[in-house]
Amino acid sequence: MFASPTAERGRKRWVFGLGAVGLAIALTAVATLAPSGRAVVTGAVVPPADEVIATVPKADPARREAEVRAAAGDLAAAIAVARADIGLGRQTADPRYLGHAQAVLAPWWNQAAPPDQVLILRATIRQALHDFTGARSDLDGLLARRPDDGQALLTRAVVAGVVGDRVTARRDCDAVTRVLGELYGAACVAPLAAAHRQGPAAYHRLDQAIAQARGTAAASWAQTALGELARANGDDDAAELAFRNALAVDPADLYTLAALADLLLDAGRPAEVVALVGDPTADNLILRQAIALTRTGAPTATATTAGIRARVDAAIERGDALHLRERARFYLELDHDPAAAVKAARANWDIQREPADARILLEAAAAAHDRAAAAPVLAWMDAEGIDDAILVRARRAVEGSR
Amino acid sequence: MTRVLLALAMVAVLVGSAGAHTLSSGYVELSSHDRAIEGRVDLAARDLHDALGLDDGDGVLRWGEIAAHADAIRGYVTKHVALSVQAGPCPLVLGALASLPRPDGPHVAIALTARCPGVADPVVVDYRAIFAVDAQHRGLVRFTSAGGTTVAVASGAPVTVRGGEPPSVIDFVFEGVWHIWAGLDHICFLIALLLPAVYLRGRDRKATWQANPELMPVLRDVLEVVTAFTLAHSITLILSTVGWVRLPTRLVETGIALSVAAAAANNVWRVVDARWAVAFTLGLLHGFGFSSVLAELGIPGDVLGRALLGFNVGVELGQAAIVALFLPLAFLARRTRGYRLVMYVVSVAMVAVALHWAFERVTA
Repeated sequence: MFASPTAERGRKRWVFGLGAVGLAIALTAVATLAPSGRAVVTGAVVPPADEVIATVPKADPARREAEVRAAAGDLAAAIAVARADIGLGRQTADPRYLGHAQAVLAPWWNQAAPPDQVLILRATIRQALHDFTGARSDLDGLLARRPDDGQALLTRAVVAGVVGDRVTARRDCDAVTRVLGELYGAACVAPLAAAHRQGPAAYHRLDQAIAQARGTAAASWAQTALGELARANGDDDAAELAFRNALAVDPADLYTLAALADLLLDAGRPAEVVALVGDPTADNLILRQAIALTRTGAPTATATTAGIRARVDAAIERGDALHLRERARFYLELDHDPAAAVKAARANWDIQREPADARILLEAAAAAHDRAAAAPVLAWMDAEGIDDAILVRARRAVEGSR
Repeated sequence: MTRVLLALAMVAVLVGSAGAHTLSSGYVELSSHDRAIEGRVDLAARDLHDALGLDDGDGVLRWGEIAAHADAIRGYVTKHVALSVQAGPCPLVLGALASLPRPDGPHVAIALTARCPGVADPVVVDYRAIFAVDAQHRGLVRFTSAGGTTVAVASGAPVTVRGGEPPSVIDFVFEGVWHIWAGLDHICFLIALLLPAVYLRGRDRKATWQANPELMPVLRDVLEVVTAFTLAHSITLILSTVGWVRLPTRLVETGIALSVAAAAANNVWRVVDARWAVAFTLGLLHGFGFSSVLAELGIPGDVLGRALLGFNVGVELGQAAIVALFLPLAFLARRTRGYRLVMYVVSVAMVAVALHWAFERVTA
C-alpha cells in the first residue's frame, strides 16, 4: 500500500474538507439546539454621560407636594394624585400608572371599608388590572350605600358586562340613563345590545343621543362605542366613519386607534394600518402594527415581532395575566402557533368575556382545527343569542374546520 | 358635569388599557457557588427615578444623572434587597452601575457579590424595592447554582430559591459509594489494614505470619477493623460538616496519605497487632477528607442531615463491597507463600506510593 505524494495530499485535503464540513454542521447544531434565552438580555454597558436612557414624567412641584401630603396621610391629596395617575394611564395605555395610583392609596388600600372615594378608585384600578371579582365587590359595597352614584353604576355595568353578568349590566345601564342621562345610558347599553339581536335599535338610539349632545367631549367618546356597535351589526362603513369621527376629536385615543386598525386589518387594508398607527409606543398598537407590517411584507416586520415576543416572554416570566387576549393574538397571527394561541385564549376566556375575547378563541380554535376548544364560546353564543356579525363569521370558520 | 366626565374617563381607562405596556418588573439575577453569591439587581430606570428622583426635571433621564446618583442607588438597593441563608444573612457588596436594555424598557444593572455564613443554596431573597412607588411592581428572581436554575416572583414577601430539586438520600448514597471507590487512598488504607486479617494474632511478633485455620476469628478481625474505621470517620465527618471542627485541607490530605503509609508499613514491620486501633485513630483523618467532598458538592443547608446520612451509608456500602471481594480470596489463599509475598509487595508499594502522595500534597 503505497500512496504517491499527490494522492497523499489529495486525501489530506479530503480529510480537512470533511472535517471543516463536520465542524460547520456541529456548530450549526449547537447554535440551533442551544436553549434560547427567554427574556432577551443583552450585555450591560456603561454609556456616555449624555446618553438618554429613558423618558420620565417631567418634574411637577404641585404633584410632588401632593405626594408628600398623601404619604403623610392626607386623603384628599392621595385621591388627587391617584386620579391623575389613572388619567395618565388612560392617555398612555401604560399600566405602570395603575401601580403608582395603588401605591399612593396604600394607607387605605387594604382597609375593609375605605372611604367611598378610595373605594371607587380601588374598583377602577382593580378592574383595569383584571381583578373583576375585587372590583365588583368594591362597587357592590359602594352602590349599596349610594345607589345613585353614576360613576360607580357605569363602572359596575362595564365589570358585569366583561364577566358575562348581563342582567346586572343591563340594570345598571338603565340606572345610568336615569342618573347621568341618555347619552351615557345609550353608550352603556351598546355592547350588551349588540350581542342580543338588538344591534340596529341600539345603534339608532346611540346615534340620536350623540346628535343631541354634539360637540361635547362625551359625544366624541361615545362615537367609539357607536363604531363598535356598527361593527357588530356588520356595517363596517358606518363603523369606520364613527371611529374617524372620534379620532377627529382625539387623534391620540389609543382605544379608538386600535379599533380602527382592527377594522382595516379585517378589510384587507394593512397598508392603511401602518400609516394610521405611525410609530406607536403602546403595546396594543404595536401588535396591530406588526400584523400589518407582516401582511404588507415589510422588512421591519421581523424586528417589530421580535420586540413583542420579548415582552410576551417577560410578561409570562412575571406571571402577568393582564394581556392574555393580546398574547393569544400574537401567537395566532405573528408566531403561527395556533396551539399556544388556543391555550392563551382559553385562559383569557376564563377571565373576561367580551366579544373580542370570544373572537380570539374562535379564531385560534379554527386555526388549530380544534373545535372542542371553541365549545365554551359556542355554548355562550347559543345561550345568550349572540348575533354579533364578527363572531358569527368567526364561528362559521370554526364549524367549517375539521 | 366634571363628575360625569370623570366617569367617562374612568370607563375609558377600563377598556383602553386592555392592551398596554408591561407592568413594572425588577430583576435579581444570582448565581451561587458554595458560600459565595454573585449577580446583579436590575431596576427600571423609570422606577428608580420614581423612587429616588434622578432626573433634573426636564423629563429626559441621561446616564450622567443616573451615575451621579450611584451612591444613592446602591444605598437604596442595600436597604431594599437582602439575601440570607439558614445560618444567617449574606451581606451585599454592591459594585458598578451599568445600563441594560430589557424588553420591558431600559434598566440600571447594579452588580453585586455576597458572602454567606453557609452554603448559598437555598437562598432567601427579601426583595422590597420599588413597591412603595408602584404597588404592582414585581421582583423576578433568577437563581443558578450547581443544582440548576430556578425563577421566583417576589411581590413583597421573602421568597426562597434553590438550584433545582434538593438531592435525595439515595443521591448521597451513590456519592458515598462512588467516593470510596474512586478515592484510591481510602481503599489502600482499608486493604492495608485487612491484608493481615487472615493470620493468627498476638503470637510471637518476630515469628513468621501463621495462617489462621478458622474463619470466625478472621471474620471478627475484619469486623473490628471495619467498625473502628467506620466509627472514626463518621465522627469526624459529622463534626467537620456541621462546622464544629475545621482542619486545613492540605493537612488532612497529607495526613491521609501518611496514614496509608503507616498502615502498610505495619504489615512489613508488624509493630501494632491491634489493627482496629490503627483503623480508629488514623481513620479519624479520613472523615475530614470525606467532609471536604461533601463541601465541594455544595450541600444545601436544609438537607445537610440527609446528606450526611446518605453519604455515610454510601461509604459503608462501598467499603462492604470491597471487603466482600477481598475476604473470600484472602481466606482461600491464606496458607500459600504467594499470599504473604503479595502482602509484602503490595504493602511496600503502598508505602512508597503513599509517601509520594504525602510529598505531593504537602508541596501542592
